[in-house]
Amino acid sequence: MAAAGSVTVALHVAEVLETIVSGCLGPEGRQVLCTKPTGEVLISRDGGRLLKALHLEHPVARVMVACVSSHLRKTGDGAKTFIIFLCHLLRGLREITDKEKDSFLFENIQTYGRHWKNCCQWKFISQALLTFQTQILDYVMDHYLSRNFLSIFSSCTKERTLCRNSLEMLLEAYFCGRVGRNNHNLISQLMCDYVFKCTACESRFEEVLEIVDDCFVELKVSVTGLPVSDSRNIAGLVLQRDFSVYCPADGDIRIVIVTETIQPLFSISGSEFILNSEAQFQTSQFWITERTKAIVKHLQNQNVKLLLSTVKQPDLVIYCAGLNGISVVECLSPEELSLIQRVIGLAPFVLPEASSQYELSHTALVKFCKPLILRSKRYVHLGLMSTCSFIPHCIVLCGPVQGLVEQHEDALHGAFKMLRQVFKDLDLNYVMQTSDQNCTSGPRIYKNSRESNELPKSVNCSIQRSYQDTVVKNKGELAKTQTNLKVCSNLIVPSIKLEKNVLCSTPKVAVTDSYQTDEALRCSSPNKGRIMDDHEPFIESNSANSKTENTRREISYENLQVKKLATKDSILPLRYKSIAMCSSQSYYFSSIPAGCVLPVGGNFEILLHYYLLNYAKKCQQSEQTMVSRIIANALLGIPKILYKSKKGNYSFPQVYLRALQALQTSQPMISNQTGLESVAGKYQLLTSVLQCLTNILTVDLVINIKRQPQEVDDQDSEEEL
Amino acid sequence: MYRLEAKKPSTCSSDPLSGERARASLAALRGLLTSCYGPAGRLKQLHNGQGGSVATTSQSAALLAGLPVSHPTVKVLTAAVRNHVACFSDGGLFTAILCCNLVENVQRLGLTPTTVIKLNKHLLSLCTSYLKSEVCACRIPVDFSSTQILLSLVRSILTSKPACMLIAKEVDHISTLILRAFLLTIPENAQEHIILGKSIIVPLKGQRVIDSAVLPGILIEVSEIQLMKILPIKKADSFKVALFCVSLSGDLSDTGEGTLLVSYGVSLENAALDRLFNLGKQLVSDHVDLVLCQKVIHPSLKQFLRTHRVVAVDRIGVSLMEPLSKVAGTRPIGSLGSISPSSYGSVKDLCIAKFGRKHFFHLIPNKATICSLLLCNRNDTACDELKLTCQTALHALQLTIKDPYVLLGGGCTETHLVAYIRHKTRNEPESFLRDERYSQSELQLTAEAFCSALESLAGSLEHDGGEILTDGKYGHFWSVQANLPSAVNWPDLPSRCGCGLYSSQEELSWSFLRSARHPFPPQTCLSLEATGSADTLTLDCFTAKLSGLQVAVETASLILDLSCVIEDTN
Repeated sequence: MAAAGSVTVALHVAEVLETIVSGCLGPEGRQVLCTKPTGEVLISRDGGRLLKALHLEHPVARVMVACVSSHLRKTGDGAKTFIIFLCHLLRGLREITDKEKDSFLFENIQTYGRHWKNCCQWKFISQALLTFQTQILDYVMDHYLSRNFLSIFSSCTKERTLCRNSLEMLLEAYFCGRVGRNNHNLISQLMCDYVFKCTACESRFEEVLEIVDDCFVELKVSVTGLPVSDSRNIAGLVLQRDFSVYCPADGDIRIVIVTETIQPLFSISGSEFILNSEAQFQTSQFWITERTKAIVKHLQNQNVKLLLSTVKQPDLVIYCAGLNGISVVECLSPEELSLIQRVIGLAPFVLPEASSQYELSHTALVKFCKPLILRSKRYVHLGLMSTCSFIPHCIVLCGPVQGLVEQHEDALHGAFKMLRQVFKDLDLNYVMQTSDQNCTSGPRIYKNSRESNELPKSVNCSIQRSYQDTVVKNKGELAKTQTNLKVCSNLIVPSIKLEKNVLCSTPKVAVTDSYQTDEALRCSSPNKGRIMDDHEPFIESNSANSKTENTRREISYENLQVKKLATKDSILPLRYKSIAMCSSQSYYFSSIPAGCVLPVGGNFEILLHYYLLNYAKKCQQSEQTMVSRIIANALLGIPKILYKSKKGNYSFPQVYLRALQALQTSQPMISNQTGLESVAGKYQLLTSVLQCLTNILTVDLVINIKRQPQEVDDQDSEEEL
Repeated sequence: MYRLEAKKPSTCSSDPLSGERARASLAALRGLLTSCYGPAGRLKQLHNGQGGSVATTSQSAALLAGLPVSHPTVKVLTAAVRNHVACFSDGGLFTAILCCNLVENVQRLGLTPTTVIKLNKHLLSLCTSYLKSEVCACRIPVDFSSTQILLSLVRSILTSKPACMLIAKEVDHISTLILRAFLLTIPENAQEHIILGKSIIVPLKGQRVIDSAVLPGILIEVSEIQLMKILPIKKADSFKVALFCVSLSGDLSDTGEGTLLVSYGVSLENAALDRLFNLGKQLVSDHVDLVLCQKVIHPSLKQFLRTHRVVAVDRIGVSLMEPLSKVAGTRPIGSLGSISPSSYGSVKDLCIAKFGRKHFFHLIPNKATICSLLLCNRNDTACDELKLTCQTALHALQLTIKDPYVLLGGGCTETHLVAYIRHKTRNEPESFLRDERYSQSELQLTAEAFCSALESLAGSLEHDGGEILTDGKYGHFWSVQANLPSAVNWPDLPSRCGCGLYSSQEELSWSFLRSARHPFPPQTCLSLEATGSADTLTLDCFTAKLSGLQVAVETASLILDLSCVIEDTN
């Protein structure tokens, strides 16, 4: 069975998802309860987790969820915003299609034909979106938005000193959207303390964040049954197991790590031990006992007081260690081992080949080593002396139910991921036309197309044949090179990677959207006519179609500049080749510096909305204008939800108006919110959403295959055999 | 068989609390738990139609463990209560009923969840800071020089579990035993960190409750056949003990990953047995009197030891190993080779005791903080209930040592808190409304919901249709019998308040609980004379109740904050 993939379907799916996630967005968001098949309950406001818990079946929904999770893996934040933004984008696109429907109605076309034609159109739009993402977005970010950036670092010098106050604000805002509303203060305070306690030197936050993010599971202890307010940070490392032997010791304690059993075995893997007599057996057992004792004695002579083992040690070793006053902790996980090694830089102890006594080189000191009792469960508490910039601390998370503790864990882990992203520079690169008129003034040669005048029916066949490989090719190519310049034929869209800085003929993306004011659109635009006089009839028909009903874009707030533009959108898939001189384009490489933040509460969205509209006004390329507008309007969806419950002066229209006025008069925007959010995160979110949207738009057909999942087949066949 | 199947999509329902089903299941749970609460609580019988044992109980731990719960929000509630009970043993019903009441009351209000959650948090912190403060009039500092308060605490816990089926005399006996068992676990010469010992509860079914006893040391149950083999124990001042954690059965422990080739005619069993006999010889020459083994001792070795008048007991199990090593004052031996003399322990005496139909091997330590509490009760289910109650009481005593306070029980803490909250919110609302954007009326509504949740919690102590009064001075809880002759001037009747601290001779202005009355400042700063004068008080564990209060409010907030439920139907 095949189902047509279309924007309408995608929009339906996105709207359903939106209703679920929008309830959890922002500081006013509420919690969602997920039950697992095992009967456990999980409390969550994490968009990614919710989407996964839904086990969606719809193919488009699955594409969306896959996109969200890949985005989350990168940044650890923004799943809910992702869905809402995507939904608004799709809404914007559908509005356009509704208006444009007539322009594509060829009288003699059949339904299937129309479908293919539609898909074709979506592909153009998706290409325009990609162009936007790779060119305009970076440009706008760099040129306009960057003026408003704040930084969480207290000084602008190379030394990145983190300002505690800003960090608190950043975390507060993050947790507002992640944990229950009476806990976010506590959790963000906990994390802030944690970060500062763990950092030995202010300028080396990045290393600390990296370790904490990598080893978060080992650095937290969860306790259920206690109130959340009992959560705290404790100095040192807590291993989630009890001592096998505990011998109290004072002062600095020397430790060793072993990765194998200390007691020698009869035979190692791959070898054979031949027993010829009972005496031999007894002698070897005796030797094993003596040897074990000797090694443990040796450790004691070296003043070792604690033995950390990754494997289970035999009873004999435990007994000997107890006799010699050495505490033993067994069965450390590889992750715990690697964390300890990272912190104290200690290599595992290698058992000496002979019983000759030599200095132990692989030992380290710990400040203390004692049992820790949390909720009548015993843990090992180690005061490691750090050799790197990370001073080990553990977070003890308490909560009445496991589900809540897990939520806090996830939120904390996500926050560390987010902070790591904040500390990274984000590269922006874009092409800027040195002369804005380049596109229109540049020489254009209308390439004769084979298909353009043919009957749509025959066109369909050729699309069908060539479609699949095109998409595949397209995707691969795009992901790899992010080439901005493509040749765009009416039906087949090969992406061609260009060598930059070489004078060459540049194929240009050619989704032409004439996005003009009422007056200009009445006639077929003169410059088009000029360019395409050799295809007069074709153009004529197109422009006839473009005289669609004059729809007014609804922008709900009065006094806006936007509203004045009564727009008429028309999308005309045209094919032409523009030869531009590469020398007239310059490549810019810039970056969003690390630590850039903006106040929360939709500030980023409103700013970008404003600048995109400004850009769209100046922009000459009509398809870019259209895309910019759609995106700019979709951006407003997020602050709208955030301010939904606010009334009076804090309602969305008021906030929006104040922001616009401030921007127009170049005054700083005044925000009533205290939190901060990372710009880089928002930027990445935007690009991920656009990529997801292109993904959805380029698929024209979903084919349901009946084959069983592979695993089941394998299992069955094995059993039959 | 493992089969990978495509997952079914989950069902998603929004606003889980507004539904009729949710409301009904919450009300059902509340009704169930409320009827169990307190000394007069009704018992519940849990049974499975297919067979198995029947449990009669009124404790939250036993009740919630057996109760099937389907609605997700109720699942959250029961999970929170069970976790609380796992941490503190006591106060499960208190937490659960308070949480149910809060959710139901707040739902009736019709305020937005955000407001209620924020305000509830403020009210909670008002309560906790009052309970922790010096002026609190429902908290009594524990005087460790006398046993009165501790005994009252244990008694209160015992009487609040009617399924134990104890009569007053038995309650006295058991509570003394529990306190004695607890005191035995406290080390004599305490340094900075007190490490408490352990009381091992040994249940004995089918005996009289009065036969229960506390014995120092450890009881190891032995079968009669085993007992026949153990020789009459000689008399001595002290017995040398060898405690093994390795198996003494002569099995070949792991030989590594490689192969072991044994030539024809070589018997490893004999070799292993030889080794065991060598060990036995060493034990005999070291004058060991008692060999205890966690695992199995080879019969030949046992025989060998018996011939040398060494008592051997095996299959002790891992749970008894730690107390045993404490009793013997040694570490378990993990070696079959030479044993260093320092790893032997000693006990003061060992004897064989018979309680009921069971035989026990009794180890009496020289000086250790281990004791055995032998609990007898008439039938299985009452015995289980008594065991659980004793564990609760012992735990409560441990918590009291850590934080040496107790709270007034019998509903008095709740009614006193209610009076305090009403007074504070009515007369000093500024402290709540300082930095938040809430109106006075929102605060009053939420505070009223909070107070009535506490009041109906206190009110659920009364199961026999009686009336509940509060006084206008202390804000305590007074219960009056139902069906009084109308001629009697009823406010004169209650003789003592719920906790037993005050008697009614003073001039108190009475009013019905849950009736509108003018808020009054309850008398703070408990006078110590008052606590001294009352002989039997009803008391609650401070730590458990405080945490229960916090957990209840936090869980209620959590439930109220839910916007939708995603149910995984796989």
